[in-house]
Amino acid sequence: MMSDSANVLERFAPLFDPKTVAVVGASATSMAPSNVFIRRMREFGFGGAIYPIHPSADSIEGLPAYRSLADTPEPIDYAYIAIAAAHLPKMLAGARGRVRYAQVISSGFGEVDEGKALQDELVAAARAGGCRLIGPNCLGTYSPRGRLTFVENGSEEVGHIGIVSQSGGLGTDIVRRGYGRGLRFSAAVTVGNSADIGPNDLLEYYLADPQTRVVGLYLEAVKDGRRLFDLLKANRAVKPVVVLKGGRTRQGSAAAASHTGSLAGDDRVWVALARQTGCLLVDTLDQFIDTLLMFQSLTPRHDRPTREIVMFGNGGGTSVLATDLFARLGLNVTPFAAPTLEALKALNLPPGTSITNPIDTPVGTLQQDDGRIAEKILAAIYSTGSPEALVMHLNMAAFVGRTKSDVMGNLMQAALRVQSRYPGRAHFVLALRSDGEPEVEARKRDFRAQAIALGIPVYDEMMNVGWALSALASHERFLSRGDGDG
Amino acid sequence: MDFRQTIMQARAAKRGSLDELSGKRLLAQFGVAVPASIMAQVNAAVGAQLGALQPPFVVKVMSPQILHKSDVGGVRVGLQTVAEVEAAIRSMLENPAIAGQPLDGFLVEEMAPAGQELVIGGLKDPQFGPLVMVGLGGIFVEVLKDVAFRICPIERLDALEMLDELKGKALLDGVRGQPAVSRSAIVDVLLKVGGPNGLLMTFASDIAEADINPVIVSAAGAVAVDARFILTVEAGA
Repeated sequence: MMSDSANVLERFAPLFDPKTVAVVGASATSMAPSNVFIRRMREFGFGGAIYPIHPSADSIEGLPAYRSLADTPEPIDYAYIAIAAAHLPKMLAGARGRVRYAQVISSGFGEVDEGKALQDELVAAARAGGCRLIGPNCLGTYSPRGRLTFVENGSEEVGHIGIVSQSGGLGTDIVRRGYGRGLRFSAAVTVGNSADIGPNDLLEYYLADPQTRVVGLYLEAVKDGRRLFDLLKANRAVKPVVVLKGGRTRQGSAAAASHTGSLAGDDRVWVALARQTGCLLVDTLDQFIDTLLMFQSLTPRHDRPTREIVMFGNGGGTSVLATDLFARLGLNVTPFAAPTLEALKALNLPPGTSITNPIDTPVGTLQQDDGRIAEKILAAIYSTGSPEALVMHLNMAAFVGRTKSDVMGNLMQAALRVQSRYPGRAHFVLALRSDGEPEVEARKRDFRAQAIALGIPVYDEMMNVGWALSALASHERFLSRGDGDG
Repeated sequence: MDFRQTIMQARAAKRGSLDELSGKRLLAQFGVAVPASIMAQVNAAVGAQLGALQPPFVVKVMSPQILHKSDVGGVRVGLQTVAEVEAAIRSMLENPAIAGQPLDGFLVEEMAPAGQELVIGGLKDPQFGPLVMVGLGGIFVEVLKDVAFRICPIERLDALEMLDELKGKALLDGVRGQPAVSRSAIVDVLLKVGGPNGLLMTFASDIAEADINPVIVSAAGAVAVDARFILTVEAGA
């Protein structure tokens, strides 16, 4: 096992941390996608050699150009290739064992009927040329540790989330929107048609990679489901794996000869996969990002799966609706028991403050001691009970422009102080609700960044909190699965 | 294993599936309880063959051309005597929907004790390989599609969770005066069919689809009362 994982890390090192990069398809006279790639790589601070490959030009983007993949001064760790599909097999076959990974951006292969034969030819050419193929029909790889990027303005920060996407566009969305929500990536690879290297190969890498602590997969077609099952099963949910699967609504085959066959839509096997391996199935891009953020920020508990939630914030209707939603997701917002109620009553909070669970506190209450009142409230709850998660929700429009000091910052700091006095007691999650006004949005962006830096997962709405918390709870239940079972 | 041979014979005879008797023998080989039975020939007297079988009896016509036996009047249940069994066979032979078909014979079985009907199924997924399914019988499967699937091989915990996943699971605990049925008996059947050395894993390249329908489960145990195994078009590598 040790040697297997060392092996896979070593095998993929040239992809995630390349020293030499070849670029095929850059133009000496115009701005082709490969030119953009070279510029982005330089902006991103890539420190290795970049070798443009061109049939006639001597220099591209100010770099010496070479005639073929076999003519570069050093062997190539990673080649970025965007030229017309028909020229590709010959190009790769000419690599003569000097290219480790070739990522083919070009389309016109297996994704269209007339390109299927060309894709087979491409795979055979890569094999003959001694390189592993990523793509075709993808957008690239983002690996901040290797200063490799295909996205514009990708963060240089090396994070802990590893992504594989079978869609290039969605891969870009995941990296960029995810960054805005607080995700920090160990890497993201778009694999397109997965003609050679597929999601399973990269999942195997991420499961072995110490830099990656959470894995996110966007899948459309899986070629070897059995291997996916085996990899996930061997992982035993130790590293959370979040799966966004496209095409789950296809119904069971009408031609099936048996009841069983007609009942097995595409979705059934994915639900089975999740139940058996503990991977987490989500339905939308936002759920995917929200769930990844939850696992990036919080450490799942093996011994106490999350169920009992304390909800604390301003906005009565929001609390009521969120309590309903949470209940549907199997999360309880249970009214406090007598000792907690007594402790809260003793605080003599202003009228209009509801101190059962959910705790509904008008801004007036939260402003007491510039927000430090939250510390007293939460201390009263934690010293008398044992909630499994604390969700603080702030309707930001009620603060912005009305409160003088940094009340929201104080509220968050107060919560963190109580959290640190009861380590491992309750997950802490924040919802920052906005009315969309530019001033509120700007404050929200700043505040989100502060919270994320402190390791607090931040969400836009209670709905997002509910989904992500229920995924965390499901993961924790899987980890404790079978405890005390015969 | 002689079922390889049974499967090869079915393929050689261009049959796409195993007949009920072969299917039940296959189940029995993996330790799944099936009713005691004899195969009566078309023109033979049944009396002597019944031997130790205990009434009530069930008679089923066996023909490669008749897949849905009860639809053509090819199943009779609750027969108490040899004479009733023989009369049932005679009347089937007079039934034009049956008489015109090539017949392998008549399966005479002990009737399973009453209980909750379940369906246990199998399916070879092109990407994931063998899957196992469980559902409650009748409308629960046919109308409500209240079933749970898992990827083989399953573990005991998976089997228990499959039952917990069924919306109608309360029926297993006994409702409206019915006694609770044995969950562990269901779990045992699921493991014998879908477990690590189970039927579906062992014959992964040969079985395309399986319906064990119904499995009748009571407090005492579970019996597979009917079974269809549909073969893959070609044995996998």
